[in-house]
Amino acid sequence: MTAARTISRRRFFAISGTVAGGLVVAWSIPGCAATRSRRAFTPSGFVQIDPDGQITITAKNPDMGQGVKTSLPMYVAEELDADWASVRVVQADLNRDRYGGQGSGGSDNTPSEWQRLHEAGAIARALLVTAAAGRWGVDAAACETEPGFVVHRASEKRASFGSLATDAAQLPVPAKAPPLKDPSTYRLIGTGVRGVDVPAIVRGTPLYGIDVRIPGMLHAVIERCPVHGGRPAQVDSARALAVPGVRQVVTLTGLDNPTHLRPGVAVVADSTWAAEQGRKALAVTWDEGAGAAESSGHLLEQFRALEAGGGLKTIRTAGHVDSAWRAAATKVELTFQQPFLAHATLEPQNCTAHVRDGHCEIWGPLQMPTSGAPVIANAVGMPVEAVSIHITRLGGGFGRRLLSDYAAEAAVVSKLVAAPVQVIWSREDDIRHDYYRPAGFHHVRAGLDGRGSLSVWHHRLLTLSRNRYRQSTNGPEMTEIYGLLVPQSADPADTYDPDLVPTRIRNCRLEYGDFPTTVPTGAWRAPAHNFNAFVIESVLDELVHRGKVDPLMLRSGFLGDRPVIPKTDDASVQYDPRREQNVLRLALEKAGRQPLAMHWGRGWAAHYTFGSYAAVVAEVSVDGNRLAVERLVAALDVGLPVNPLTLEAQTQGGALDGLSAALFGEITIDRGRTVQSSFDGYRLLRNSEAPDVEVHITPSREKPMGYGEIALPPVAPAVANAIFRATGRRITRLPFAAAGFEIGAPRSYGL
Amino acid sequence: MSSFTLSVNGSTRTVDVAPDTPLLWVLRDRLDMRGTKFGCGRGFCGACTVHFDGVATRSCQTPVAGAVGHAITTIEGLGAGALHPLQQAWIDEDVPQCGYCQAGQLMTAAALLAKTPHPTDGEIVAALAGNLCRCATYVRIRRAVRRASNAMAGRTP
Repeated sequence: MTAARTISRRRFFAISGTVAGGLVVAWSIPGCAATRSRRAFTPSGFVQIDPDGQITITAKNPDMGQGVKTSLPMYVAEELDADWASVRVVQADLNRDRYGGQGSGGSDNTPSEWQRLHEAGAIARALLVTAAAGRWGVDAAACETEPGFVVHRASEKRASFGSLATDAAQLPVPAKAPPLKDPSTYRLIGTGVRGVDVPAIVRGTPLYGIDVRIPGMLHAVIERCPVHGGRPAQVDSARALAVPGVRQVVTLTGLDNPTHLRPGVAVVADSTWAAEQGRKALAVTWDEGAGAAESSGHLLEQFRALEAGGGLKTIRTAGHVDSAWRAAATKVELTFQQPFLAHATLEPQNCTAHVRDGHCEIWGPLQMPTSGAPVIANAVGMPVEAVSIHITRLGGGFGRRLLSDYAAEAAVVSKLVAAPVQVIWSREDDIRHDYYRPAGFHHVRAGLDGRGSLSVWHHRLLTLSRNRYRQSTNGPEMTEIYGLLVPQSADPADTYDPDLVPTRIRNCRLEYGDFPTTVPTGAWRAPAHNFNAFVIESVLDELVHRGKVDPLMLRSGFLGDRPVIPKTDDASVQYDPRREQNVLRLALEKAGRQPLAMHWGRGWAAHYTFGSYAAVVAEVSVDGNRLAVERLVAALDVGLPVNPLTLEAQTQGGALDGLSAALFGEITIDRGRTVQSSFDGYRLLRNSEAPDVEVHITPSREKPMGYGEIALPPVAPAVANAIFRATGRRITRLPFAAAGFEIGAPRSYGL
Repeated sequence: MSSFTLSVNGSTRTVDVAPDTPLLWVLRDRLDMRGTKFGCGRGFCGACTVHFDGVATRSCQTPVAGAVGHAITTIEGLGAGALHPLQQAWIDEDVPQCGYCQAGQLMTAAALLAKTPHPTDGEIVAALAGNLCRCATYVRIRRAVRRASNAMAGRTP
């Protein structure tokens, strides 16, 4: 398409025609180059308007169910004033010049893409208006738009966008982006828009990485060392090669960084089934390495030894926690155990690659194509420019596909066998060789003074670190402390990590320790928040109970009543404790205060994750050992809600994902091997076990923030606090099933 | 390798594969019908659900030899030209998130409604309890089954 060349040549918003006479607007962050020098100018996408009125908007980032293939094009369509029914959305390939960075993580797409995608739509709209004004001989300022049309009211003239496209394509690029709409005039943003891929999904249309078919493509499966960190020592492939359909057996040596590529033995065949049969016939002797000494059963002992040995790193401290603890009128001291979790995307890891003639072409479910490309390039010894990536729909992400190891595998196998290859993981591969949510241990001492104020908070986090595992040069603590409480600094020049919560607690200390592990670790939906919220909210609940204080008063006392976090990477987003209080108040109000039956309990929790606020109220029943989560009520403040239909879905799904992990989620390691291997051992929540989730959204004109991970963190503590109210039993080790509960079904599904 | 003749979505298809090849892989790798999904290969997740003579069946647990003689329906054949009321309900309720499990969910739900046009809430969740959704779209799945059931009742009272 002409747009591609135009954009890479001209480093600003660019306009061009199509062969059929349509308008193409491609864009950078233009005009913005002057005002936002840090981002300078990064080209980032395009919209095309055809003479027949068809509008094509490119979805630049991968969609794994969080809905950005729908919500980001809504930004363009809103400013363009497009009729959504005439919009077609196409998934972008990786293209550094045209789109800038491409990836989906940290619930960041919603805020980070806002400005440039709105400007792109606004430019296209301005061009259409200018073209119409020129055709009619009227002042452009006197023209307005309705969805799909430019209108001049005084002369009662109307022209469709399509009829103006060819003229608009001849116009010069506006010197700067036109003013954006006032949010009060939005026609599309804030309305429920259904997912653009849904009609194809329900028909079974091939959309996913696993559905990719390339002429001549072979199928490969990879046998990996059952012990984490091990590698093949000797491979006898004779019997495997005798299996009908098996073509080759090749060895992957892996890379030094195990999050890039791990060692294994690939069986390449004509079909997936033949490859699996060949794998069963492999005889591999493994060099198990040091990992064989690691068992998750030893972790608690190791964490306690680390704590007792001293030498923990103090992340933040203020006041005197020891004397304040001694003086506290109400004391709570609890320890918590955080299990490994698997991601278990329902689409197993897979990727298709074709390496030939100095070029590596990739088709697959990549969550982070931009950061994956250099990993793939390194694996096959090519420059990153030699890697092209076609982004498919992702059958789930949950953090697993932030890594691109499976794409590197496909590339290496394709290179070794000199053919296009699809690598597919079995479910057993996926569960046994995941990059797990790190296991950890928390020790918290917290106390109230005589007036019922939180006077001391001393939190020790002993954990495994995914930053350490991925060999990051950043501190190992940086990936594990999200959402934890720290004292506000007296020094106004101090910046906070945006994912910490600065508090007014006078005596407050956060300490941290970890040790290296061969067990692979990685990000899991709402990383670190997903367990840290459980710890904080469980302790607060215990304080409320023992100190007989009002939960909302307790919070406002130590969180304060004004925005407090200068977010280091984006000063426009601040943690505002009032918004957290508001969602908790809203969730409690919607849940109601009606008394519950015997053996029922109601619990609540709130948390701030990646710029958005969520509170959850849970109602549980505990009948002997039978635990049923009867009802979840969620309240969210995500700023201006971009697509309420998706927001509701992400809240329902995120809350139930949090519930699934809290009830069942646990990976155990025995002598370096993952014990679980499929959905029998690694249980997921079933439909019959899932309560209704009521979703309440706070109306807001604040900056729109993401909502893919927000509802999850408060769920586990809300359920734990409800169990406490039902039984007097404080659960501090997840999952709940490991506490001896049998998980039952709710009485009602709210249908 | 042996030759097997299958009836899939009303068409007769002949494939030459090993007799133990699961129907799932025959559909995906041989017949290019990729709507039926691989989730676990053990029958735990339900992503591979198809119909055998109208009965919801795990295609990953069915060797191709066992599929001969049955009328097989896959997600591609569910609507038979038009959308099945369940597919329409799935669109109306905006059910899918990642969408990967939804073909299996739809096939299970279709088998349920064919046998039990007016299921109770308990019958809906019991029928769908074996179809895992990693995105946990369960609330909307239930609503969509209810919606489709009502829509089908409206058409044929």
